[in-house]
Parts: sequence; C-alpha cells; structure tokens
Amino acid sequence: MAALRVIKRDEPWKGGALVIVLGALAFSLAAAILMLAAQGKSPLLGAQVLWQGTFGHLFALEDALRKAVPIFLCSLGVAVAFRMQVWNIGAEGQFALGAIAATWAALTFPGLPKILLLSFMFLAALAAGGFWAFIPAWLKLRFKVNEIITTLMLNYIAILLLDYLVFGVWKDPSSFGFPMTPEFGPNAILGPIGGTRLHWGLAVCAVAGVGFWAFFRFTILGYELKAGGEGARVARYAGLRYGFLVAFVMIASGALAGLAGCVETSASLGRLQPSIMTGYGYTAIVVAWLARLEPLPIALASFLLALLRVGVENLQLEMQIPAAYGSIMEGLILLTVLAGQFFQTYRLEWRRGE
Amino acid sequence: MQRMCRMLALCLAAVFIFGLAACDQKPEQKPAAQSAQPAAETKAAPAPAAEKKLKIGFVYVSPVGDAGYSYAHHMGYKAVAALPGVEASYVESVAEGADSERVITNMARKDFDLIFSTSFGFMDPSLKVAKEFPNVKIMHCSGFKTAPNMSNYFGRMYQARYLTGMIAGLMTKKNIIGYVAAFPIPEVIRGINAFTLGARSVNPQAQVRVVWTKTWYDPALEKDAAVSLLDVGADVLTQHQDSPAPQEAAQQRGAYCIGYNSDMSSFAPKANLTSAVWNWAPFYVKTVEEVRNGVWKGGQAIWEGMDKGVVDIAPYGAAVPEDVKAKVEAKRAELKAGKDEIFVGPIKDQSGKERIAAGQKAPDADLLGMTWFVEGIVGTTE
Amino acid sequence: MELEIVVALLAAAVQSGTPVLFATLGEMLSEKGGVLNLGVEGMMSVAALAAFLTSSFTGSPWLGFLAGGLAGAALATLHGVVCVGFLGNQVVSGLALTILGLGLTHFFGTPYIGLAAPGFSKFAVPVLGDLPGLGPILFRQDALVYLSYVLPLLFWFVMRRTSLGLAVTATGEMPAAAAAAGLKPLRLRYLAAVGGGFLVGLGGAYLSLAYTHLWTNGLSAGRGWIAVALVIFAFWRPGRAVVGAYLFGGVMAFQLRLQATGTNLPSSLLLMLPYALTVIVLVLSAWRGQGTDAPAALGVNIEPEG
Repeated sequence: MAALRVIKRDEPWKGGALVIVLGALAFSLAAAILMLAAQGKSPLLGAQVLWQGTFGHLFALEDALRKAVPIFLCSLGVAVAFRMQVWNIGAEGQFALGAIAATWAALTFPGLPKILLLSFMFLAALAAGGFWAFIPAWLKLRFKVNEIITTLMLNYIAILLLDYLVFGVWKDPSSFGFPMTPEFGPNAILGPIGGTRLHWGLAVCAVAGVGFWAFFRFTILGYELKAGGEGARVARYAGLRYGFLVAFVMIASGALAGLAGCVETSASLGRLQPSIMTGYGYTAIVVAWLARLEPLPIALASFLLALLRVGVENLQLEMQIPAAYGSIMEGLILLTVLAGQFFQTYRLEWRRGE
Repeated sequence: MQRMCRMLALCLAAVFIFGLAACDQKPEQKPAAQSAQPAAETKAAPAPAAEKKLKIGFVYVSPVGDAGYSYAHHMGYKAVAALPGVEASYVESVAEGADSERVITNMARKDFDLIFSTSFGFMDPSLKVAKEFPNVKIMHCSGFKTAPNMSNYFGRMYQARYLTGMIAGLMTKKNIIGYVAAFPIPEVIRGINAFTLGARSVNPQAQVRVVWTKTWYDPALEKDAAVSLLDVGADVLTQHQDSPAPQEAAQQRGAYCIGYNSDMSSFAPKANLTSAVWNWAPFYVKTVEEVRNGVWKGGQAIWEGMDKGVVDIAPYGAAVPEDVKAKVEAKRAELKAGKDEIFVGPIKDQSGKERIAAGQKAPDADLLGMTWFVEGIVGTTE
Repeated sequence: MELEIVVALLAAAVQSGTPVLFATLGEMLSEKGGVLNLGVEGMMSVAALAAFLTSSFTGSPWLGFLAGGLAGAALATLHGVVCVGFLGNQVVSGLALTILGLGLTHFFGTPYIGLAAPGFSKFAVPVLGDLPGLGPILFRQDALVYLSYVLPLLFWFVMRRTSLGLAVTATGEMPAAAAAAGLKPLRLRYLAAVGGGFLVGLGGAYLSLAYTHLWTNGLSAGRGWIAVALVIFAFWRPGRAVVGAYLFGGVMAFQLRLQATGTNLPSSLLLMLPYALTVIVLVLSAWRGQGTDAPAALGVNIEPEG
C-alpha cells in the first residue's frame, strides 16, 4: 500500500526559504484576489492596483521604507529576547515608554543644540524602554511570574500612561484642549535625508542592525545568548548568570523598542499624541519570528510587510475595498508561509509498503 | 539564510527596476466609485472627456460601517459621489499620524482636487500636504490650522445637544441623566455642557453624570458604562460614542435614551427619544460646487450650525409627549433661524466659579477649547 | 456606595467576566494539550459574527451559540493544521490567526451592522434568584451565564477524572512519553486545540447574543488577549480561571461605577486598575508558592518520526 510519508531532510533545503516565501505569497495573493471577485470587484484590476501601490511607484517604496523603520527597530528588540526564549510580548508598551521619555527630553530641554538634544532623547528612550522591560524581567526572576502575561499587562498600562500625560500635564495649551503635546522645537526633530521623504531614522536602523549583528557575532556575551535554548538551560544551573542574562536581554529588548518610539515621535509626528500607538509592537513579533530572529531578514521582512500595507491602502483608494481586506491578506500570507516553512526541514515522499 | 537574503535582495532589485520602468503607467480603467453596492460594475463608463472630472477624496479615521462618526461623513461622501462630473473615493481606518500623512499625500500625488480629512488627528499631516501641494484643496474637520489652500470646518453639534438636553430634562423623573462619553476632548466636553445647559433650562434639578470609556468604539464596554449609570439611578441616557450599545442598555432597563451621530432609534425603538445627528451632505455638496465654480476659499475656519443644516435632531421617538415636542420645536426654530444663545452667561462651572459673565456670549475660540464642565455635571474632565 | 450599588456591581462583574471565562477555559484546554493559541481575539470575533448571523437567519439563539463554537473550532483547526501538521511556530501562527480573524469579521460583518438578532435575556432562577445578595448577583443572569457556572466543574472533571483528559494532559507535558505509553499525541493535540477553539467560540458568541443583541464590529475589543493572560494567571487550573475572569470583569465594572458615582480620579488611572491588579495578584500568588508551571511541552511542536 502506498502512503505519503514525511521524511526529514538530512540538511535543510537551501534556497527553499525563498521558494516557500514566494510560493506562499503567490498562493495567498491569489486567494485574496479571488475573494475580490466574490465581492463583485475585478480580480485583475485588483492585482494591477496592488502592484501599482507597491512596486509601481518610487513613492510607494519610499513610504514603505518610512513605515518599516519602527517595525524594524521593534523587531530587533523582540529578536534579542526571543533568542533566549524570553517571550517579550511587551514591545508595544516599551515603544510607548520610549516615546514618553523622548517627549519629556524634547519638551524640557528645547534649547539644547540639535546633536545634544537628539542624543539625550535617544538615551532617555533607551533607558525608559529598558526599564519598562526590566519590570517583567525582575518579576520573572524574583517571583517566577510568567513574562508573557506581565509584558502584556504592562502594554495596556503604558498606553494609559501615555493617555494620562497627553490629556493632562503635557497637553499643549494652544491645542484647543486636544490631547497632544506642544510641537517639538526644530532641535528635537529627526529630519529628512536630503530632499527625499526618508528620514534619519533609517540611519538609526542601520546602526542598530549592525550593532545587533556585531554584538552576537563578536562578543562573548552574544555567543552565550546565541547558544539560546540549550545555553539557557545550562545557564539555569549556574543560577546567577541566568538571571543576569534574562535581565540583560529584556533591557536590551525594551531599549530597542523604546528607541523605535523615540524615532517615530521625533521623525514622524513631531509631538506626542495617542495616535502614535498603531500596533508596531505586535507586528514586530510576527516579523521577528518569520525572519528567524536574524537582522538582515528582519530588515527585509519589515520592509515587505510595510510595502504590503501601503499597497493595500492603494486598493482602498482606487477600488473602495474595505480596510479589513488587508488584514485578511496578511493573515493568509503569514499562515501559508508558516505552513510552507515545513518543507524546508521535511519533504514528502510516496513510499510503497510499510 | 544568507543565500536566501541575497536571492531575495536580487529579486527585489529586479522588481524595483521593473517597477520604475513601469512607473508612469496609470491603471487602465478606474471603476466608478459607487462603492455602496458591492455588486456594481467595475468597468468605468468614462464620460466623454469634455470636462475633466473633479477628483474628491475622503479620509476616515474609523471604518465607515460603524454607524457612527465616520458613517455620518460617509453619507456626505455618497451625496458627493452622486454628483455629475465627480469621481469620489475614500480610505477608511486610517490611523492618525504617519499613516494619515501618507494617505493624504498619495491622494495629492494622484491629482485629487479636493480632500476631506475628517478627523482631528489628521490636522498636522493635512497641513504638511497642503504646503507641499499648493494645487490641492484640503478641508480638515474639527481642527484649528489653516493654509491658503486648506480650511477647517466643523458643525455646531452643541446646538443639537442643547435640544436633546431639553428633552432629557423634561423626560427624566429621577433627575439623574447619564452620559456615556469617549474622551475628554473639547468637542465632547462642549457637547456635554450644552446638553446640561439645555436640561437645566427646563429642569433646574436635573443632574448629568459622566462616565468616560476612553474608547470611541467598544460596544461591550459602552454597554457596561451605560449600565453603571443606570445602576446609580439614571433614567435617561445619552452618549458621545460611536456604537449604539448604550441605547440598547437603556431599552433593556426601561430607561430612555438619546443617540448620537446618526438616527439610532432602530436600535432601541421603545426607548429612543431622538438623536443628535450630523448632516454633512448639503455642506459637502456645497463645498464641491464651490471648488467646481472656482469660488472656494482657503484659510477659512468654518463652523456651521443648525441654521445651515449641518446638525439637527432626529425625528422624535414615540415616547415623547406633545408638550415636550412643542417646547423643543420652539427652541429648534430659533436655532434654525440663527439665534444661538446657548453659551451666553451667566454660566458657572462645577466649582461654582463664574466662567461666562452675565450677558456675555462666549467667543468661538473659547468654545473650541472648552475643558471645564458647567454646574450640574457630576464627573471629571480628565 | 450603598449595598444596592455593590450588588449591582457584582452582578455586572459576573456578566462581564462570562465571555472571558469561556475563552479562558478554551485557551486553557488548548494549552493543556501543548498548543499555544494566541489567536483567541480573532476567534472570538469570528465566532461572534457567526453566532449572530446564525441566530438572525434561523431565529434560534441556541443554534447561534452552537455556530459560534463551531466557528471558533474551525479557526482553531486552521491553527492546528499549521502548527501540529506543518510544525509552524505556534506564537506566530496564533498572531496570524488574530489578524486573519479580525479581518474576516470586519470584511464580512460590515453589511450587517445595526441589525438585531434573537439573543439571550436575563431571567431569575426560581427560589435561588430571591436569595438576598447572592440572588441578584448569581441567579438573575441569562442562560449562558448559568451554563458557565457548570463549565469549570466539567472542565476539571474531564481533565482530571477521565482517561481522555489525562491523555491530553500527558500530551501537553511529555508527548514522547505519551506516545511510548500508546497514546496518539498528534491526534490528542488536535483534539485539545479544536476543543479549546470551540469553547473560545462560545465566548465570542456570548458577546453578540447575550452581552449585546446587535451586530457591531469590534465586539471582542481585546478580551481575547485578556483570556490568554488569564490562563497564565490561573496557573492552568479552571477554578482560578473563574476567579481571574470575575476579578477582571469586576474591576472593570468597578472603575466605571466609581466614575458614575462621581470621583475626582483621572479616568486613565482608573482604567489601569484591572491590568495592574492582575499583575499584583499574580505576583502575590507566585510569592506564596501557589504557582504551577506551564505544561512542559507548551508551544513545542512534535516532530514527526524520521
């Protein structure tokens, strides 16, 4: 009797990753576009509009690069923690704390020269994000409280804290009572690169990405952390060391998410308001994992995801397709890529007999 | 992983180059923007290009299906889309901040003539785009910044609120009226104030209690908030929220309710007294015609009221008795004729301090930035 | 606050906690089998829509309730296929499910906004409903709440006293040992995941059939994430899940009532209460050593035999 058997590959299918991603993309896009037909819209036109909205224009690529910046930084942060199997779901809240700290710095010291003020804002954001992540780390080490729940709860608290500040003490007196801080002075703004629409947040990303890679490649601590699962279990027996490692990755993780908050506040908005929270922290988890926690794939995945979202907006604009459609597409793509990754490690074979 | 990245990068580069080459192509046929019917044809029937169509864009902060704020704007969109020589489209669920800047910029890049950005948080992005694209005209709702090619607009919803307050004040037996509100921003506070002034103008014993939900849209939480007000004795409820959940809560407990944004009577047929509604269609159509005829002016701060039909109250529910209707209609007629004396002093705040002196009418700027509650309101403004 | 208000508060807490209780128990079942499903939010949302539409078209809220459960189970099956079948990472798959589920709900549910469907209304249990205090709080609720009283007991019984439940638990702790003992871990995992999804779906159905009787988008509003947190809070035990769900619902109801009775505390701070309290209680419990570890094989996929 022939049967379909699952065989583990002797070594992972090189180049398979690309085939899988493209295959999954193709499948999901096809399914999503066919859904358009079910709603009475032309699938062909949909495909064309989606293309136009993503690769069809330089603007779309620029927009995607801008949108990718906070996703990338948060993803790096998430990756640091996940590499040690510390499940930091709190990037959203750490992002908020970073934004809050950067705002504090910008509003309190508007007169400082630009380089100084921006550096100070970065430092404040790194510290605040790191601190917000340290709390669940400490709870985990001291009381053995699961970090998934504490980081998640702290997300909600962070957002409410932001609301409290922006509705209260930091409210711009000239904003007619609307919840927003005063606009940052010019020295607190991370400006555009030359005449493009891109901003220097990209440089921050580059530095962070290289730093991430270099840290894990060249430092002993990085090596320890990269040893990941096994290393953590072994390290657990060393007691003190494990605690230090957990605290370290969480602080680093939170710091990176905080940095993302600072960059977004300074470069994109120029002031703090509640609408800065759009879920980057959660998107980052998806991106980081899909990219196998590696910096260059994280960069690519952040960009592609941002590009998809920008393209879906074009579908809305040109074809009046509801915004929810983009979520469906994203969900489908993610699930099919995940399922497809199976084939990197396993292959199917028809076997006769037993 | 390294090889994958290199290959992927190569693919991207190839696609990028291809994309640039195809850069100048526009999509062939644009569908007619009658988005309400999903089964509509998708091929455009291009009018013989005697005159170029006006491209009008709408940007919403929430989904249009919410029967709330964006829905009300969307009704205006539909009126505009039905005009001859107009090509209208919209984008919904646009987050304020960077996303909105991108969306509005894209519309400008696609040579839209007029863009309605309908949420306060779109203000700075709208201004940026206005400065960068001087040929685009932008109408920003509920903000305070302008540019030569950008005006802001809003409706004097507080007038409608005053009327609904009168109804509430006349219909309450326990003199406790509940207000489920989203965020303590001036437009909400102003509405609550006008409502309370209206209620106390006909019933000086009436007290308004406010519960903040800190969300525009969470039906279950809004219902909880409504129930919490009912539990402390409120027998009339109203809301500044986008879902009809508080209406339902009121009906279930045998209380009365007053809706917001659109006519919410279908959600609580027995309990609903009326709703304070927006009516953007005439205003939007008028604005489009101004653009078409070349008489549109930027730099304006437009705040139209009941006299121009932008706000009103929905038809009275069955439970409203004739004498109440008569009183309210009298006031309504005044407002429609342009006589607005709602925020004329003496008006005291919650702490008893006089904020608007006797005989003085509060200037628009004060109203737009209102952050204090009038006497008779129980609740914080934070 | 007077006694009346306290009683009303507790009654509201029970109702508020019920959908979360269903969802928490569902996620707990899934996790006991070793499958972490972060898609609860998306599942509740789709289930709410399915329940509403079914009730609306058939006129039967019970059919709607069932349909909600089935919708949750369907999405959980998808998650199962990706994770148990294709060994996809459970965390990401769950998140993808949330994104997909929310998208599907908005996309297909929008035309029905504002419609009402037959739902469940409150009624008093004879005799019990008249008990002072407890009567209004526990026994003047709707049928689904009464069902939810029984569910944790059922859960405990099945998981601890039936061979199926024990088998699922074993799979969640050590799949290899379970296989060696003659059990079929893959099948058990599917069972846990799909069964859990069904319960989660019931929680979603509650939102559109009992909590409110209208369809509007966004009913789940983050409750799915609370359920995920509460499973951990409950240390994977059904009794504590009850405590967690009602505590959370209660604090939320409490801060609303605090506002209604007139307080000067800023509402942002009040809203933080449920989340802060969850963390505090968790810390206290762990400190007193009441903790249980997660199922050992939670989140770890079972590799097929080479």
